[in-house]
Amino acid sequence: MMISSLIKRILGKDAQEILSPREGRLFIRISREKLRESVKRLAELEGFSHLSTITGVDTGSEIELIYHLSHRDALVSLRVFVSKEAAAVPTIVDLIPGASLYEREVHDLFGVRFDGNTDLSPLLLPDDWPEDIHPLRQEWSLERINERMREK
Amino acid sequence: MSTIRIPFGPQHPALEEPINFIFEVEEEKVVNVTPRLGYIHRGIEKLAENRTYLQNVYLAERICGICSFAHAACYSQAVEELLGTEVPEKARFIRTIIGEMERVQNHYLWLGLTAKEMGFETLFMYAWRDREKMLEILELISGKRVNYGVNTIGGVRCDISSEMLEEIKDKLHQLEERAKYYKSVCTKDQTILKRTVDVGILAPRDALKLCAVGPTLRASGVARDVRSDYPYAAYGEVPLRVVTYKGCDVSSRILVRIDEIPVSIGIVEYALENLPIGPIRVRVPRVVPEGEAVSLVEAPRGEDLHYLRSDGSEKPARLKVRAPTLANLPALCKMLVDVNIADIPVVIAGIDPCIACAERVIMIDVESKKRKMWSGEELRRYAIEWYQKR
Repeated sequence: MMISSLIKRILGKDAQEILSPREGRLFIRISREKLRESVKRLAELEGFSHLSTITGVDTGSEIELIYHLSHRDALVSLRVFVSKEAAAVPTIVDLIPGASLYEREVHDLFGVRFDGNTDLSPLLLPDDWPEDIHPLRQEWSLERINERMREK
Repeated sequence: MSTIRIPFGPQHPALEEPINFIFEVEEEKVVNVTPRLGYIHRGIEKLAENRTYLQNVYLAERICGICSFAHAACYSQAVEELLGTEVPEKARFIRTIIGEMERVQNHYLWLGLTAKEMGFETLFMYAWRDREKMLEILELISGKRVNYGVNTIGGVRCDISSEMLEEIKDKLHQLEERAKYYKSVCTKDQTILKRTVDVGILAPRDALKLCAVGPTLRASGVARDVRSDYPYAAYGEVPLRVVTYKGCDVSSRILVRIDEIPVSIGIVEYALENLPIGPIRVRVPRVVPEGEAVSLVEAPRGEDLHYLRSDGSEKPARLKVRAPTLANLPALCKMLVDVNIADIPVVIAGIDPCIACAERVIMIDVESKKRKMWSGEELRRYAIEWYQKR
């Protein structure tokens, strides 16, 4: 069966939007509430064990999280949107243990909380880094971070 | 029994790069490991948003000094996908050739470092001497020993002429012969066997669960390789064998890499024999249309992922890089549990860590806002002034 129709069957209505910009690549939008369930169902599929990484993107009004899961036939990117003010998603570390460092990376750089992940200590940023600066968010331009660090 | 916590790094004689591990040990055995990164975070992802697409080729190349080509190729592919550019056939072959050459030099470099961690300094010196041959070939083609600058958006910048072929083939042959010799050393020498067999175990189930990549994963018997799973450049047209070993230990990690050397040399020889004729690059527009692309490359250390998003301007809206070392760190922590303290360095070396690759975020010069290129002399003067002020 074609991978895209297989995924359509497995995710059903949870897949809000499916894009395939080229062969071997699928982008699927799902709701925050369905994230764990979708990852779980995909992870149970034959050949779907590998999480390549979690990408964070600041779209201006929201934070977009992209979970890149690889399958033999295609790289599937699950897309979830969270608001900037209450940036939180449930963790998937218990489903895919390899996600631990990726969740910490996104937490450091975008300030997204992963509910249920017990270790969100800084991975990349210094221990004394101000908690409200999330360097890859767009409102924190290089100049603004620079100014803020000089105040200290 | 009481547990003792031992900090290891960020500066440590047995580590080439800054990373910190806290080891919890009971007597001689490691019972828990906590890694901490961030010591060479340079802000490359943020920087990429402030550079043009073409400038970013060179930035991507500088993520890592050893697998520089893989990063630049991965990034270029992502931009080409967004532009809808078809790369000329010859460029695809040259990318494959340089990519495999980079793999060979990386594996020789790694073999040397691992030998050094074992205390086998002679092997270290032999392996690095042989690696020079590959660097000479790369210098012949690109003019540089590292950071070759071969990639550009729309193709490659260096051609391989027929005058170079004889020298390249001669050196490839020597490298292949040496790989055979190292294989016999690494399967027979008692010192190596005692230091590596059944050390740093990573069961296949754990390797998959922890999302390990590259030779680390293949040494646990899992045949995954981007080159065969999602072929790019000229893979799919060249003879490729995915090497796996089932030992799940440091010894298997050595053998996977040594066996990959002749496979890579075979690919280079085949690609040179069948090198297409035609242009090596096409001109591309400066502005990239809106869209997003995920690009994958099998770097010497494993799967390298670049995610690129364009908002239709001259600069990327987002470039995300996930280099293989970060993917292998959770697996490394698993391997380190239950090893003897004395085996820690060789197990860490086993994943071929590149810490510079694993980190890329923010570095701010609080002294001056200006962006400036410093010569070595200026840097030295700055350092002296800085220390005098203290």
